[in-house]
Amino acid sequence: MPQVSMIPRPCRIVTVTPHNSRDVHFVVEAPEGFAPEPGQFVMVSLPGIGEAPFSLAALPGEGTGEGAFEMLIRRIGRLTNLITRLKAGDELYVRGPYGRRVAWDQFEDANLVLLAGGLGLAPLRSFVRRALGRRDRFGRIDLLVGARSPDELLFRTDLLVWASRQDDVHVHLTVDAAREGWDGRIGVITSLLDGLALDSARTVAFLCGPPVMYRHCLRRLLGMGLYEHNIWLTLERRMKCGLGLCGNCQMDGHYLCCEGPLVNWREVRHLREVV
Amino acid sequence: MDQEIYRLPRERLDALIERLGRDYRVVGPVKHGATWAWTDVRPGMPLALDYPTSMLPPRQFFAPPRETLFRYRRGADGRFAFEEPAPERPVALVGVHGCDLTALRVLRAFHESSCRDRLVPGRLDRSFVIGLACWSPCLPESFCRDMGSLENESPASLYLWDIGTVLLVRVQSPRGREVLRDATALEAATPEELVALRQRLRARPEAFPARLQFPPERLATSLKAAESDILWEATADRCLSCGRCNLVCPTCTCFDVADRATLDGADGTRTRSWTGCQVPGFSRVAGGHDFRPTRAQQLRYRIFRKGKYMPERYGIVGCTGCGRCATHCPTRISIRDIFVQVGKAP
Repeated sequence: MPQVSMIPRPCRIVTVTPHNSRDVHFVVEAPEGFAPEPGQFVMVSLPGIGEAPFSLAALPGEGTGEGAFEMLIRRIGRLTNLITRLKAGDELYVRGPYGRRVAWDQFEDANLVLLAGGLGLAPLRSFVRRALGRRDRFGRIDLLVGARSPDELLFRTDLLVWASRQDDVHVHLTVDAAREGWDGRIGVITSLLDGLALDSARTVAFLCGPPVMYRHCLRRLLGMGLYEHNIWLTLERRMKCGLGLCGNCQMDGHYLCCEGPLVNWREVRHLREVV
Repeated sequence: MDQEIYRLPRERLDALIERLGRDYRVVGPVKHGATWAWTDVRPGMPLALDYPTSMLPPRQFFAPPRETLFRYRRGADGRFAFEEPAPERPVALVGVHGCDLTALRVLRAFHESSCRDRLVPGRLDRSFVIGLACWSPCLPESFCRDMGSLENESPASLYLWDIGTVLLVRVQSPRGREVLRDATALEAATPEELVALRQRLRARPEAFPARLQFPPERLATSLKAAESDILWEATADRCLSCGRCNLVCPTCTCFDVADRATLDGADGTRTRSWTGCQVPGFSRVAGGHDFRPTRAQQLRYRIFRKGKYMPERYGIVGCTGCGRCATHCPTRISIRDIFVQVGKAP
């Protein structure tokens, strides 16, 4: 294996867009030679504060600039408190991309169904963009998005744009609870599968969301007849290195930072510590 | 086995240490009060070649308890510059037992398989190791013979047997021969000494009663049958989550990463330090969700890692039978007893 330095590279922030009181959307200049696949991640740090893994909400040249990538960062700890206070022109320190590179040509001709719970929409947004960038190579695309409340729906501009392109992608939204003024669906994300007629043999599913979401969605999708090898999960674990070394991200014997975070259900279903 | 076995009179040990000191940082077991620890040694210092293992394992010299990954410094333009530390002096370890030699093999296998570390593999490559035979179990909890590490004599450039009257040393690499030749006259062991060595080796197994009723290769299969948390709860109930078992384990590799800044934030280091799967928060992500929250799950994980995941992934069992974890556990949770139990399971 090639040895990799843990020294990060400075990357200038292009734009900063708050999505709500705690989630902030960053467009960042990509480091040289940065060519991730959907599902990979980066380690982002501020020297003196710390480092953490973040998923990619858009890859270079896929709905964002050739030399840029995007992240959605939730203010949840010391590092993200400081990152979310940065402005355009400030620098983040980035290394990566890390994680398994899943080849996308295997999904060509398939129907795609993407299930995004809460922050899970951030990585899956790069999946949607990859598919829309080569729209003719895929069948029907359904994006199922669940949020706790209408206020917490992320990437609303994208959702609106996509919703207006019914031929390209079918967007389905639901929220756990809503005040007056929400005329959309209320319920858990699996309820969005109710009205959906999936061509089970032809459909590939991608899931990303809070831990509780996976079991329920898996049961439903398998019940609808999807093949195990056609279900992909993007998982989260504590990660300190991204190099298959620090051990924090292990599930059973697997290092998620190398063999994930995008994993195939048939390959991991026998593991105890997956979902 | 009789090839290249030489005599090393005790008084020549100093010459060997002096020779090694030219090229290496030399460490060996030294008695400190009631315990023994790997310590920097110089000629004239009493090396405890009869030591009953150390608390901290030799991996401390390959993956130190805390080490700097890089320094950062903020320049006048506000941007940070980074610098990795220069490689340190290679280490020579004098008197490594079979269990800890096995642990070096585990470290090597781990680094050759999945990870991409810049520091540990180079340190392993540059090191000089002198192995040392054991004649009795170091600790009541030792089960090195069962794990096959009692007889392991590599990786080591030189290998020592203390047969009482004299030390015998076998050359196991060209570099070992070079170092030994510089330090001694390369006097071949006498036939009487070789007979004495053979007799000792033949009698040795009696001093190491078998503890496991099955070979270590069967651990992975036995553990497979012990998936249920219920099996682990009774033992885990005693666990204090102190993480000592991880710290003293010769094959643990996990670490945490943290920045250590100066008060003005202008410079500092990013460091990694030992942590382990038994330490609270090891599997906790931002936002508070813990992917392995209970002590039963954590204990199960540690045992599976050593007995199943490591052999499956790296081709080598992750437990050497050194006995450290059980000895230093405040509530005496014994990996050997757990192995015995899972071996009995149908």
